[in-house]
Amino acid sequence: MRALVFIPAWNEEASVTEVIDDVREHIPDADLLVVDDGSTDATAARAREAGALVASLPFNQGLGAALQTGYLFALREGYQCCAHLDADGQHPASEVRRLLDEVAADRADLVIGSRYHARGGPAAGDDYQPTISRRIGTNVFRFFLTLATRQRFTDTTSGMRAANRRVMGLFSENYSPDFAEIESLQLAVRQGLRVEEVPVRMLERAGGSSFLTPLRSSFFIFKGLVVLLVGMFRPRQVEVER
Amino acid sequence: MSGPLASAIDAAGPVLLAAGEEAKVHLTSQTRILAAILAVAFMVMILDLIRRNRLQERYSVVWFVAGLGMLAGAAFPGLLELVADVMGVRDTNVALFSLILLLLLGLALNFSVIMSRQAAQITRLAQERALEQARRQSERDGNDGGAGSAAAAQSSRS
Repeated sequence: MRALVFIPAWNEEASVTEVIDDVREHIPDADLLVVDDGSTDATAARAREAGALVASLPFNQGLGAALQTGYLFALREGYQCCAHLDADGQHPASEVRRLLDEVAADRADLVIGSRYHARGGPAAGDDYQPTISRRIGTNVFRFFLTLATRQRFTDTTSGMRAANRRVMGLFSENYSPDFAEIESLQLAVRQGLRVEEVPVRMLERAGGSSFLTPLRSSFFIFKGLVVLLVGMFRPRQVEVER
Repeated sequence: MSGPLASAIDAAGPVLLAAGEEAKVHLTSQTRILAAILAVAFMVMILDLIRRNRLQERYSVVWFVAGLGMLAGAAFPGLLELVADVMGVRDTNVALFSLILLLLLGLALNFSVIMSRQAAQITRLAQERALEQARRQSERDGNDGGAGSAAAAQSSRS
């Protein structure tokens, strides 16, 4: 089964090489694409040196557009499944491997790597320590997304996912550039796709800092709620067989 | 559409009645002349922008119609008074202002819609360019980078 692992990266020159090596080691049979989202540093060059394919967006378009680029590539080049992980080193490739296996075994169309256990608390022995603002945001999104999709999600903003061709087709056409993570989950569930969460181990960021300040995260939450609300009234396109 | 507005003006009505003799407030001829001059100048400006390729025709129609409306209002004040009557507003000027405000609101929204569409188009363009670049790289590298086109890479080797 041909699989593509893609890594959206925006100014991640410090960690991208490491992440690529990690993926190489744990998922040797997958092809590797780095979607460089208009980086102004040496991200693209580092990724090429490390032997990955690089798709460079000419200017920064936001995470949603970068992810969509990856899905589009996977769809057009005929991969059976694809996975993506963050470029900052938070996501161990060994865990991505598990997500890909779920999709390859056709147990789900879209698999989300969750840093929380199904109960909602952080995974035991987790290296991940969320900040307060992130914890609030997580809970708000969790609540409303569950309300909107009638399916339980614990890690709504996870950037570690694996998907099959159905999802590629959906996401390469409909993907909000502003609010990719949440809206995409809602979209997939509404289309009748099988979305599954798998608890994974995540690490602290290797380089850089989170973009979330209290003010920003409040705005982030507000925007997310609007997106969710609007999403509930979006027309369903093609009904997919369950 | 102007329920609260109309009732606010109704509330102000007695004051106006007490102050002046007339129940209605008309446009003065000064205003009309000024409006006509402005409307003509505006339309000349639109035409000039189109002529110099600074404005595309399809986006100019709405502005041109706005200019014509302005001119019509200046030339036939009876038209404006009719509109004011329909809106239930005593003051023709207030009717004019609220109409223009609504039109501008609609226009601004229209631009947001156009902007959103163009933003989506720009994004897709950027993505296509990025994908093309990755595809070329994969052909150049052969299958080294684990390119998406194993078959193409093999055929180029043989």
